[in-house]
Amino acid sequence: MKKQATVLVVLAVLLTGCATGTQQRSIPIVERGGPLTPGVMRDSQARQAQFPQSERIEAEIVTQNEVETVRTYAVPHAPIGGITVSSPENAVPTYEDATNPISNTGADMSRTPIGGQTSLAADEQLAGPVLALLTTAKQQQGGGDLNSAASSLERAQRIAPREPQVFYRLAEVRLEQGDAAQAEQLAQQGLRYSDGRPTLQAGLWELIAKARAQQGNHTGAQEAQRRARVHL
Amino acid sequence: MSRMSKKRNAKPTKKSAKQHHAKASSRWWGLFIKLFMIALVLLGGVLIYLDAIVQEKFSGKRWTVPAKVYARPLELFAGQKLSKDDFLVELNALGYRTERAANRPGGISVNGNTVVLHTRGFQFYEGPEPARAMQVRFSGNSIASLAHANGQPLAVARLEPLLVGGLYPAHQEDRILIRLDQVPELLPKTLLAVEDREFYKHHGVSPKSIARAIWVNTTSGSVRQGGSTLTQQLVKNFFLTNERTLTRKATEALMAILVELHYSKEEILEAYLNEVFLGQDGQRAIHGFGLASQYFFSQPLAELQLHQVALLVGMVKGPSYYNPRRHPERALQRRNLVIDLLVEQGVVDAEQAETAKQRSLGITKQGTLANTTYPGFVDLVKRQLREDYREEDLTEEGLRIFTSFDPILQRKAEAAQTKTYKELAGRRGINEVESAMVVSNPETGEVLALLGSRSPRYAGFNRALDAVRPIGSLIKPAIYLTALEQPQQYSLTHYIQDASFAVKSRSGQVWRPQNYDRKEHGTVFLYQGLAQSYNLSTAKLGMELGVPRVLQTVRKLGAEHDWPAYPSMLLGAGSLSPITVTGMYQTIANGGFNTPLRAIRDVLTADGEPLGRYQYSVEQRFDGGAIYLTQEAMRRAMTEGTGRSAYNRLPSSMVVAGKTGTSNDLRDSWFAGFGQDLLAVVWMGRDDNGQTSLTGASGALRLWANFMQQAQPSSLNRTPPSNVVMAWVNAYSGEGSAQGCPGAVQMPYIRGSEPLPGESCDEPESFDPNKQLPAPVESVKSWIRSWLN
Repeated sequence: MKKQATVLVVLAVLLTGCATGTQQRSIPIVERGGPLTPGVMRDSQARQAQFPQSERIEAEIVTQNEVETVRTYAVPHAPIGGITVSSPENAVPTYEDATNPISNTGADMSRTPIGGQTSLAADEQLAGPVLALLTTAKQQQGGGDLNSAASSLERAQRIAPREPQVFYRLAEVRLEQGDAAQAEQLAQQGLRYSDGRPTLQAGLWELIAKARAQQGNHTGAQEAQRRARVHL
Repeated sequence: MSRMSKKRNAKPTKKSAKQHHAKASSRWWGLFIKLFMIALVLLGGVLIYLDAIVQEKFSGKRWTVPAKVYARPLELFAGQKLSKDDFLVELNALGYRTERAANRPGGISVNGNTVVLHTRGFQFYEGPEPARAMQVRFSGNSIASLAHANGQPLAVARLEPLLVGGLYPAHQEDRILIRLDQVPELLPKTLLAVEDREFYKHHGVSPKSIARAIWVNTTSGSVRQGGSTLTQQLVKNFFLTNERTLTRKATEALMAILVELHYSKEEILEAYLNEVFLGQDGQRAIHGFGLASQYFFSQPLAELQLHQVALLVGMVKGPSYYNPRRHPERALQRRNLVIDLLVEQGVVDAEQAETAKQRSLGITKQGTLANTTYPGFVDLVKRQLREDYREEDLTEEGLRIFTSFDPILQRKAEAAQTKTYKELAGRRGINEVESAMVVSNPETGEVLALLGSRSPRYAGFNRALDAVRPIGSLIKPAIYLTALEQPQQYSLTHYIQDASFAVKSRSGQVWRPQNYDRKEHGTVFLYQGLAQSYNLSTAKLGMELGVPRVLQTVRKLGAEHDWPAYPSMLLGAGSLSPITVTGMYQTIANGGFNTPLRAIRDVLTADGEPLGRYQYSVEQRFDGGAIYLTQEAMRRAMTEGTGRSAYNRLPSSMVVAGKTGTSNDLRDSWFAGFGQDLLAVVWMGRDDNGQTSLTGASGALRLWANFMQQAQPSSLNRTPPSNVVMAWVNAYSGEGSAQGCPGAVQMPYIRGSEPLPGESCDEPESFDPNKQLPAPVESVKSWIRSWLN
């Protein structure tokens, strides 16, 4: 028996050792720069100016002689859209939004969401299943069972993967669980889907501010506070 | 020896016969008493020894139970993307039976688009899901409404999860432990009627039964009936071997009596129900009625009806002889015999018996929870668990592992694989070509389905996890993403040169990349380099950005590697496994948010107590705008680039993005692509790394498209993030244009990097539509090429 057990353990170790592909839980690189905010680039002149200059890499690249001739200004051989371009009408890319009635943050969802970080007044305007699960999670959270609350919220997230209120609540629970870094990330995720919902955005920034403060990032927290006020 | 010598000493004295006789007899008596005492002491010792064994086994942990692996529970709510057919497939796998009115757990009735069902209830991590009756109405491929049986709307409910496997060491007993109160009333009655009528009267052994057995056996001249009580059978199974000797029989009887002394009839019966051997499934021994019920009927024990109970009880006598899958007629005969016996003993009436005898055996085709049903996925689960739990906890403690496995998608993946090989039949060397596939939901990071081999039941080399192969062009999105992260310098309509070049390494080696078609494509838009998978322009762009930087992007995407920063890495000389590639593309599919892939949600103890959770975590690694643009180029790969042929199978309204990959000399055929809620990575190639006749498009893409055709992902959400603007540009020059101008198309740009809007519809000087528009013939050619490329 003992022998067998040792063999099993050795096998298990070997197997896990070989399983380089499954070590997904170790995150290789943590890049935590400043907040990724829009609109850094204003200088379209600069971009225009560097169109013909691809010679910057000359130092590393030995260009073949016959290629030199192609290096002058030339428009691309094939137009955008490849072979299909003929008139503007059918060249316009058509963007179909996923029309999942639950996860869509469109008109059928609440436009006046969470007020601050204290109440969840807008919950009743959520669609059925998500509302039901958020309510369950709230009860579990109230009873101090944070793990179950998180589990219920993740269930809600699977049902409505783009509902920012779910991210808001999940971030809140993570913060209560003491995982401020995850709370911040989840709130960021919520912001990604809360365009046009200023109250909710303010709430999410408030959460980010708290989470940053808990991580000792006080300037970051102040910045988040400022953004929260902007949205209110 | 000493007794003998005493006897000899006594002989010569001969005082008187009488005296002698009396003396002798008292001596004999003394001897007898002494012997008896010794025997008693010995017996006592044996009894104490046996008693210790009995008590140890009974009061300790009686059985080790392997961990059970469950699929995701199917969620039901109005709006859920689920077809009625898929729903019924799942219910069937869960052993639901069609009934006229579904009023018991495990029953369904189908009426047009409405399915009425009575769920069984289940203990989940965050609480119990009650058993309840509900009606599900379908419309198209989704649930239109969900309501209680009385018509009141129901917000959300879930089915019990399908058991998909267990964690068994080799040669392992398996069982599902049951309590006596979970057992259908008929089961103990039937069992006692058949195996031990006197159970509640005897004290472990039944002289009456033994006598009857002897009578039957001697009159019939063969061993037909055993006189063993249930207790004796239990003792035999628990402690003893199968040999037929008197000593063993005596030990068995003694232990049976001891067991009866210590434990109640109910405890003994419950132990018996869990212990009895009822079948062999490969290397796994099926023990107990709980597991047997799942194994043969795919139903929980509590739901079994007369004909099913009778079959299982009948099998106790000879599990392999009466195996209903191998010997259905024998089993049927035995079952009906048991039913007759029940009528004889007044357990059921003749009418019930007749109805039951009319029923078929009702067994499922194969053991649906066999170890080898989904070996690829269960393997992934095991590896994840072994990082956190001890081996013996996994194989002995009966843990319940809840995973994200989606049996419906798995079925579709397997079907797509079979179909693809059928389509490819006749290709050179196709029989040697293996394949692997990982399906995940990029929004949650959960692995939903997995193929580790071209034969889905094969439990060996798991290529999805262990085939580490050159990824070819699958690396290209990382290069373009690196570029698009610098909007001051690069946009999708930035010009890049697709022209030959060579790079000399420090050691003097010259690297000279080539396009797949060995041609140069001159000036192309940046996005075209990715969509058309041009090697020259991509490699040049990668050199411009710097190889280390590109390799860093690969890491940031979630693929850890130790590739040297050689230029050849830019065209995918580095190797990854399909699951690692999945992690990498997951970040692209999820807007730049990295979520570590997970296969397990939570773990409960055997008693349903929460033990561990693998929670959702997320980390923003890239700017949403840069990812959006990369997705746009990959979307165009599907509409105008190397992935076009997918739309031979997919509806044009389905927005997907993806990338083909082919390694040198056609050794590896890759495709990675996604919609909004489904990402699938496919690899095809040979185990010996030999050449195939497949490119990424002709092999892996075909399998991917066959799968997506069935799986029907939601279209990719193309709502631009806040830092992305749509601008009108001339399709030929990429310069700013105005809506309505000839050749004007809309392209996304990071705000501020868009070209200045065109003031009129003036065409740029160099633009010559006659020269630039590809001829129709060319378009057909390029369409054909897309299959080869």
